[in-house]
Amino acid sequence: MLLQQTSARKNISVRRKLAAFLLCTVPLSFSVHAQSTSTSPSASPIYKEFVDEAGRTVRVPQSVQRIISLAPSLTETIYALGLQDRLVADTDFCDFPPDAQKKPKVGGGLNPSLEQIVALKPDIVLLAKSFNRIETLQALETLGIPAYGTEPHTVQEIISSTERLANVLGAPEAGSALAADLQRHLADLQQRLSGFPSRRVLFVVWSDPLISVGKDTFIADALKRAGASSIVDSSQDWPQMNLEEVVRLQPDFLVFSGSHSEAGQNDFDVLAERPGWRGLDAVRNRRFAVISDAVNRPAPRIVSAIEDLARQLHPEAFAPHSEDEKEKKTPPRAEPQLSSTAFESRAADPGQMEACPCAP
Amino acid sequence: MRPLTLSRLLMHCAILGAILFAVVVIALKMGAVPVSLYGLVRDLFHVALGQASQLSSEHQLIVFNIRLPRIFLSIFVGASLSVAGASFQALLRNPLADPYVLGVSSGASVGAILALIIEPRLALAPAIAALFTPVGAFLGAAITVAAVYFLGRREGQIDSATLLLAGIISASFLSAIIQFFMSTLTGGNYHGFAFWMMGDLSTPQQPIVNWIVRVGFFVGAGIIYTTAADLNLLLAGEKEAMHLGVDIRRVRIVVYIAASLLTGLAVSVSGAIGYIGLLVPHVMRILFGSDHRILLPTVAFGGAIALVIADTLARTVVSPSELPVGAVTAVVGAPLFLYLLRRRLA
Repeated sequence: MLLQQTSARKNISVRRKLAAFLLCTVPLSFSVHAQSTSTSPSASPIYKEFVDEAGRTVRVPQSVQRIISLAPSLTETIYALGLQDRLVADTDFCDFPPDAQKKPKVGGGLNPSLEQIVALKPDIVLLAKSFNRIETLQALETLGIPAYGTEPHTVQEIISSTERLANVLGAPEAGSALAADLQRHLADLQQRLSGFPSRRVLFVVWSDPLISVGKDTFIADALKRAGASSIVDSSQDWPQMNLEEVVRLQPDFLVFSGSHSEAGQNDFDVLAERPGWRGLDAVRNRRFAVISDAVNRPAPRIVSAIEDLARQLHPEAFAPHSEDEKEKKTPPRAEPQLSSTAFESRAADPGQMEACPCAP
Repeated sequence: MRPLTLSRLLMHCAILGAILFAVVVIALKMGAVPVSLYGLVRDLFHVALGQASQLSSEHQLIVFNIRLPRIFLSIFVGASLSVAGASFQALLRNPLADPYVLGVSSGASVGAILALIIEPRLALAPAIAALFTPVGAFLGAAITVAAVYFLGRREGQIDSATLLLAGIISASFLSAIIQFFMSTLTGGNYHGFAFWMMGDLSTPQQPIVNWIVRVGFFVGAGIIYTTAADLNLLLAGEKEAMHLGVDIRRVRIVVYIAASLLTGLAVSVSGAIGYIGLLVPHVMRILFGSDHRILLPTVAFGGAIALVIADTLARTVVSPSELPVGAVTAVVGAPLFLYLLRRRLA
């Protein structure tokens, strides 16, 4: 990482455009000449250079005090790192934690207001490739605003991406602590699930038309870590599935995600009423799982969603008798034993969020 | 038709130019971040007189690096689309003709989506990659124009009705191809393209692209203007025009190619913005008559004014988010077109 001094602001290009504008429209304007006596920053801050996940070199102030997040996952990550006081604005879709809804908004992820972003004088703007447009990244770059893009494809990359981001934002300790905690939870889960065959599942993103997740998405990877394997073998991110094909593959479970469990329950009931869906064993036997929509966001909270799904798909791995030596590390959540009804929807109790390992 | 004098032409242009200037200043003031009109006007004069800008550096960036380039883009896209629309309407003697009906914009969309799909597979320098989509769109438009032109001929001659039909069918065929490719796009690309399809001026363009659009407008509109007198005679009917000494074949080819150049360039930077090319010529014809020597310049100003206003609405109505400008022009344009239609029938 290079330490570099900044030069003065790029006022020249502003002036050139302005001059062009006035020459075009005000013929009487005489002697438009560029002067370099404008308001320049009193002290040049020190910059660091990072390479972001889009492969671009980004120059970021040494001390990042004003962050704008353009994706819900990045907003969550900032809160998980305990940097929420430096978050000056986020998007209309940033709803977790609830406090994030109170932050000033710069619009949606696809069409944020560049003006609003400039006016808030951010030290850095964070973007996620899955949620934002590459054009926004380029536009910010043109305006001389440091813009850092992230693009994790697996659960492991979500963790390493979080750690790198913490480094960029000047909070490496928080990043490594969070990463270590998440890794511990995943390792623990892997150990519990070892020996249990993975469940073949259909992750239902949308039911009409039926949309699932492709094999190269972080959601498919999250399913794997929860002891499940998606029956969908598509390299598209959001493939539209043919119901006949699903019936032929007969998934063990349907998996829904929702902000609350009733949503998933309703989704299931609606599907079960449809003629074709009764051809699925999983539908006839009401074998489905509902997990938090955190699974849809490449943010640290995905680990708790993975644990939640694993508990629903493999209750025997979490049965009290096999838990004795793990007792101290990860106390089981306050919930009744998972009986056979655990296959049906479990209320995503609010307490779960507090138990989330990533919450600060 | 009132006789054309240079002073009459200049007066019309001066009035519309003044309106455009006022609209631009107001558009510069409007936006998600408030800027006072007085401060802005004072600052424009200061800078015009060679003094330093008094605005804060953020406001300078917002007004001169975000709003101004976008307004310039609106001016040239609006002017290009409406001049192209006016020429197609005159050439085909059909009030419904506009760049979208003839399939030109659909061709540009196919070119753009192909560029989006191919671009990540080639390791291009960022500067070239940024040009890739506009160039693809322009090529798509050019190829469609050529195809529709040849499909629209009958016995070696262009036939207006056949051409219009060929354009409409090509447009719907190309739309099907777009749907197919869109289903293969993922993530950010899909969002980017969906935005582009709805008509989007919010994405800042590379300076080189901006200059191509500006120069292209003056070249294309200039070429069309040289045929303005012939277009007037064409209004009387093709046979009549031919008897009056108009080389119809040459006029058709020249105007068709120039108008398609204007459309291709406009669509490549702004996506599908409808109704400007259809409606502005109708309004200007009501206001200033059908003499193309006056109509074409006034249509250029009118298109610029209309799109600057539409884009200002697009970026302020739901601020800090933005609407696609194509939605704004359609919501305002469709009822206005119906009103003009009923008025003409009454």
